[in-house]
Amino acid sequence: MEGLEGCAMWNEPLVGNLFGNFHYFRVGGRKTGGQYILGEPFKETWLGPMRDLVLGGAAARFPEVSGYLIIKEPNGSIGAPLLMEALPESRMIFLIRDPRDVVASSMDARSEGSWLSERREAQRSTSKQIRNPNVYVRMRANSYVQQIEKTWQAYRAHGGRKVMVRYEDLRADTLQTMKRIYSSLEIPVRATDLARSVEKNSWEKIPSEQKGEGKKRRKAKPGGWREDLTARQVEIVEDITAPLLNEFYPHTATTRGAL
Amino acid sequence: MLEENGGMRPENLVWVFGTARTGSSWLSAIMGEVGGYSRWHEPLVGHLFGNLYYERAGHRSEDAHFILGARYRELWLGTIRRFVLDSAAARFPGIAAKGGGYLIIKEPQGSMGAPLLMEALPESRMILLVRDPRDVVASNLDAHKGGTWTADLMRKGGKEKPPSLAESRPDAFVKGQARRYVRDVGNAKKAYDAHGGLKVLVRYEDLRTDTLQTMKRIYSELEMPVEEADLARSVEKHSWEKIPSEQKGEGKFHRKAKPGGWREDLTARQAEIVEGVAGSLLRELYPVRSTA
Repeated sequence: MEGLEGCAMWNEPLVGNLFGNFHYFRVGGRKTGGQYILGEPFKETWLGPMRDLVLGGAAARFPEVSGYLIIKEPNGSIGAPLLMEALPESRMIFLIRDPRDVVASSMDARSEGSWLSERREAQRSTSKQIRNPNVYVRMRANSYVQQIEKTWQAYRAHGGRKVMVRYEDLRADTLQTMKRIYSSLEIPVRATDLARSVEKNSWEKIPSEQKGEGKKRRKAKPGGWREDLTARQVEIVEDITAPLLNEFYPHTATTRGAL
Repeated sequence: MLEENGGMRPENLVWVFGTARTGSSWLSAIMGEVGGYSRWHEPLVGHLFGNLYYERAGHRSEDAHFILGARYRELWLGTIRRFVLDSAAARFPGIAAKGGGYLIIKEPQGSMGAPLLMEALPESRMILLVRDPRDVVASNLDAHKGGTWTADLMRKGGKEKPPSLAESRPDAFVKGQARRYVRDVGNAKKAYDAHGGLKVLVRYEDLRTDTLQTMKRIYSELEMPVEEADLARSVEKHSWEKIPSEQKGEGKFHRKAKPGGWREDLTARQAEIVEGVAGSLLRELYPVRSTA
């Protein structure tokens, strides 16, 4: 989407994380009170500055954008309900992937010597995954639930243009799924431009030395978790994410006893 | 912006930073009761911005895409300013009205974000309230045991307090609390040192020894008017002696209010842990009694 004429991508501003992590997980029972800065009774006073922070931040960073600004904000999904309420005119893509594949990918990313572990090493943070993989699986599955539940909540409440996309559909037929995204969001796009961008960013175009275990581009294989996770790890993820699996992946929601 | 339309004036905001269990409830209660003053009880706005900026995304400060990135500092500091002023005006319209007095913002648990808040609101007044870290940790150690006031507080919010390290691994709890002290008081001290406006540093111990004189010093250094009789009345009303005895003691919000009480509360090892972690601040703030 970023490569199309007049468009740009804002790569993980974390504005959703700023507000969502704090509001939903750090302040406990204070949300309804009048003292707390994001208190419900005074919503109008903080939704406005939140809106300005996004719009002002976008305008300052992307003055040249004449078309659309794609805000990639997966790690800010926890604040999606607040952001969409502050910016009801905005468009929204709810991108979802099987939690078992998400966890498998995250585990690989944090394994010793991987692209993310090198970055974390530089930041001097330790990897729980290395110490106890099952503990990490549980933690990542829980964060998946937090992020996807909040995204889903925002998606249901959003009155503007929106679309839900499964990663698996995007892999199976990228061009058709992309066309559906543009159509649902009522964003004009030239079919040839889109096809070119899809081709340019396809898995096959990535040099083989940039793909594989421990790399940012790993395997892009829906269902790959069957090769990556132990039976116990699959159970952990399925137990924790059961309501979401049932909703979004009903035909493979549980593999208990089948592995 | 409300500020431009006669809303809350930043110079009428008085921030109280430090950390939890430094006596900020007591101090702000005294100040909030005096005529012309109101109290904003823990908005947590400092925590909102400080937690992401200093802790969770500290490594991204130079990243232009990060919402609180260095390149766009002026922009987001402006948002923080508006956030505070609009929120304060909506909650305290009497103070926002012209000549309406002062708003005491009790924000010990938002002290991590004090440098950002004071940079966004340089006209504001600031109180840095400190207490010996060993007494702060001892107070928290008591507060987080089972069946104490913190459990009651959580129950009121509809939650049961989970088992605390304070009971299962007290030394680890002490270390965590000492680190929290360094994070909160350390950042509040940075904000204090950088702040060019009116400010005052207050030790809890001085407040306990001579409350009225210390309070007078606060008003004088912050250049805020106060009727001495009003102040004396508020000091008296909120004195330790006026708290009913059944509301005081171990496990209660009002515990012992005794500077140096850590000698009875902490083990020698625990005192050593605090002195090790918070040694630098301890030496700076309490130079004559920095080690046990």
